[in-house]
Amino acid sequence: MPFLKTIFQTLLLVLFILGLASCVKDVDLDQAKDIGLKPKLQIDLLIFDVSETDFVDTLTNQQKTIIRDTVRLEFLDDSYVQDDLIEVEFSFKYINSFSRSFHNKISFLSENNSVQHVVEFNIDPGDKNNPAVTEVIDLIKLDQIQVIRRSIKMAVEIETLPGNDPFTGELKFQSKGLFSFEF
Amino acid sequence: MRFILTLIFFIITVLSQGQNKQLLYDVRSLPQSLMSNPGTNITFDKHLGIPFLSQIHFSAGTSGVNLYDIFNDSNPNVNERVTKAIRKLTSNDYFTAREQLEILSFGWRLKNDDYISMGIYQEMDIFAYFPKDPAVLVNEGNKDYINIPFNFSHVSFTGEAMTVYHIGLNKKIDHQLTIGGRLKIYSGIFNVESTDNTGYFTTMDSPEGPNYYRHFAENINVRVNTSGYKSLKEENKSVEEATADLLKRSFFGGNIGVGVDLGFTYKIEEHLIVTGSVQDLGLMFHKKDVENYLYYGGYQTDGIEPLFPDAGPGGSTLPYWDIFEDEVDKNLKDETLNEAYITWRPYILNASLEYGFGKFYQPCNCLVPEYKRSINLIGIHLFGINRPKGLKYAFNAYYDRKFTQNFRVKFAYTVDDFSYTNLGLLVSSRLKNFNFYLAADNLLGYFNLAKSNSESIQLGFQFVFDK
Repeated sequence: MPFLKTIFQTLLLVLFILGLASCVKDVDLDQAKDIGLKPKLQIDLLIFDVSETDFVDTLTNQQKTIIRDTVRLEFLDDSYVQDDLIEVEFSFKYINSFSRSFHNKISFLSENNSVQHVVEFNIDPGDKNNPAVTEVIDLIKLDQIQVIRRSIKMAVEIETLPGNDPFTGELKFQSKGLFSFEF
Repeated sequence: MRFILTLIFFIITVLSQGQNKQLLYDVRSLPQSLMSNPGTNITFDKHLGIPFLSQIHFSAGTSGVNLYDIFNDSNPNVNERVTKAIRKLTSNDYFTAREQLEILSFGWRLKNDDYISMGIYQEMDIFAYFPKDPAVLVNEGNKDYINIPFNFSHVSFTGEAMTVYHIGLNKKIDHQLTIGGRLKIYSGIFNVESTDNTGYFTTMDSPEGPNYYRHFAENINVRVNTSGYKSLKEENKSVEEATADLLKRSFFGGNIGVGVDLGFTYKIEEHLIVTGSVQDLGLMFHKKDVENYLYYGGYQTDGIEPLFPDAGPGGSTLPYWDIFEDEVDKNLKDETLNEAYITWRPYILNASLEYGFGKFYQPCNCLVPEYKRSINLIGIHLFGINRPKGLKYAFNAYYDRKFTQNFRVKFAYTVDDFSYTNLGLLVSSRLKNFNFYLAADNLLGYFNLAKSNSESIQLGFQFVFDK
């Protein structure tokens, strides 16, 4: 019987040693609070392709010098933008086969149409066989990001600039945003 | 978010353990060996488990990453290591957690020498492949993955909790062959499964226009089936009500399933034994408290196109965003249904070959030749468990020595998806009719659990009687 007692004690010792020996070391679990996700998302925004007919008022049949339209971007009001967006890099590209210049004005508006952010630039003239490409990159960093968080609409306004060349051609627009988040 | 991430990494690392119970397989003096092979050539004549204590088993594991990989204290940039870990893991890496608690266990030898055993145990099994592409998309976004599809078939997981009622019969056909079978009735508590999903999300360069990129969601078909979840998430349900509901389900108040275990032991010659078994060959029928979540379809977009119409009253224009959302909703559908479904249990395969040497022990009845065993046993054991993308295997070699009639030790070396350095130990001791066993895997890992991919402990107390 003393032998059995020894065995049982050995078993208890094994348990005890397992319990004592097991440990978690060389790690700093406090780093868990620093874990975050930092996705960068490329997202297409608006596109359009306008020609001279889009600059004609359908009621009066007169040529307009300015066309404009507004698109709601509802996702700007989502919590991941409101809470976690840290930077946006917008890219705007025009491909112009009009032999006339245009002035572009892109505005980001709040719900009550108050202007939060504006990107303005002139669009270079091109020609039918050799369209001009005008590209502008607009970076909004963390210290300005509130202008995007307060916005819900993107308005595009194109104004024809004076010129004598015939007013025919195509004006194509591409846009995207590189949205950087930190969750 | 941080809490969830921390929880995930805790589960996949601190609790990193294997999913098999190789140390208990074919240990003929332990009643638990009948649970992994009902055809074990057992050496006892009656057993009675201590309720809730006859078998306590918990295992969880991960293939590919451990706690140290993430929280290494020599480098403060934890997010860099998280990204590195996500990039290193593949969609075939997986996390698993399995728990079993024996509630009742007893058995006795019949007059015709068959052995009948029965009992109740509670089981939980969770298995998830690493959702590689969705994880990369969430962690890094699509910026560096233009023209590379994110594959949603990487989302594949199952989870279930149930109470199992079982009765088994072990029959010695002759001196060489012992066979056994066990019928199981599953009383489902909770189930979730999402397998065989399809679909890609891709952002393609679009040099020919009309925009910088084109976003594709193709062939999306993601389905999550749940049973026992819908009623639990109901608002205004008190903890007492939820507990009563779970208990009711444990006693056939929920979904029911049925399954069998089958096994055999065959003595090729006196010293050479081959065994094989299949466990949990069964189905669960989910009809009650079922909720299915579906997301399917396909869509592509280049962005929203304003048409520059003449402005309406007050400068109003077309509701482009609403039109876009309607278009997305029409093509990418999100539905919640209440359709019954059937799941296979994750069946387990075991096979072993064992050779005995050293003098025979004649522990109880020297007139019963089957009870004889060698002092030393060496063997190999192959384990496989069925998972959504196929069987997961573990292979081990062991040495089992009986030091006295009532004290045996089994050493095992196991190779599986988690580790190549898994050394395990089983000690089983009897004081008169009281038996205690303790089995621990991957002993080396205990010295620093943070660097371990595999640990496991099983223990139990019971009464075992010989004639």
